[in-house]
Amino acid sequence: MPIIRFKTSGRVVELPDGGDAVNLLRVSIRHECGIPWRCASGNCGTDRVRVVEGAENFDKPRRRERERLGDLLDAGFRLACQSYVDGDCTVEWDPDQVGLDVDSKAYERLRRIWLSKEDSA
Amino acid sequence: MTELLSREEFRTALEKAMEGRQAKDASFSRAWAEGKLQRHHFARWAENHYHYVGPFADYLALIYARTPDDCTDAKDFLLQNMYEEEIADVRHTDLLIRFAEACGSSAERVMDPRNMTPMTRGLQSWCYAVAYREHFAVATAALVVGLESQVPSIYRKQYPVLIDPDVYGFTEEEAEFFDLHITSDEVHGERGYQIVLDHANTPELQQRCLEVVRDGADMRFAYTKALYDTYVKPDLGEWVEEPAAA
Repeated sequence: MPIIRFKTSGRVVELPDGGDAVNLLRVSIRHECGIPWRCASGNCGTDRVRVVEGAENFDKPRRRERERLGDLLDAGFRLACQSYVDGDCTVEWDPDQVGLDVDSKAYERLRRIWLSKEDSA
Repeated sequence: MTELLSREEFRTALEKAMEGRQAKDASFSRAWAEGKLQRHHFARWAENHYHYVGPFADYLALIYARTPDDCTDAKDFLLQNMYEEEIADVRHTDLLIRFAEACGSSAERVMDPRNMTPMTRGLQSWCYAVAYREHFAVATAALVVGLESQVPSIYRKQYPVLIDPDVYGFTEEEAEFFDLHITSDEVHGERGYQIVLDHANTPELQQRCLEVVRDGADMRFAYTKALYDTYVKPDLGEWVEEPAAA
């Protein structure tokens, strides 16, 4: 029976044998395991976790995750929203962490829209 | 009279309400996953799918407006879902149009409502009707649990073959619409379950949620099957399940 250990919150979730791989953030939300998150689309990076054990049970990172995490991937980090897990693993995170996207194109575009002179209501 | 189900019983009942009705099992989805479609079939799919998902923020806005202001968690979920559909990053419909263009269609064709089948028009109308008329927990059950939460299971089968050079051969950029929804709708679906579990708090509301989840799954299945019957059957014939390998 695969077991996901959420080290920072102390929560442990057992998954049924023989099931499909599960999305790590979905499991965290469903079982109130506490991974912080914001966009769930691989943009903000708020839900990055360090994989303490079981990295081999994660699927390979796709484009969004590679682009958002960059060198953090090599340091053992994954984005919970982008990660599917099919075996035992342990993850941890900084409970106060915020997004990695404060300098992103999306933020800049929204700042431009919301802080424009035309939109001063 | 039906009793109020516990949280776990209700969740299980919601999940079971979709069994046997999931769009991933419809003929168009099966042909897609088995590598049997051609680009012009995908183009017609995109021209229909736009009219179902394009107004998704509209459906959610109707629910949002009818959600009491003390249900902050539900309102915030709906608002965040709308934001992500439209402006958080790339507008999701722009990703759909990008895929359609890679299939030989165009933005004009995709946005033209004359290009949808009657079944697509029915699905869109059902979404508007549920969002406008039902209790917010029931509408969330229909649109988020019954429809949106199915997306990851559909696209996790369909995306790998799209970008497989030996099958359909799209680039990751052309197929980004699918990759994005595999993950974002996992969380939308889970949050949707939570809203429904928290706010469908009478036996009547729970039973109504189960009914609309069944209806929503039926609608999406029928919509997907109609795509095969309309666009693929003339090329490939009636869909026949292949026997499982011994």
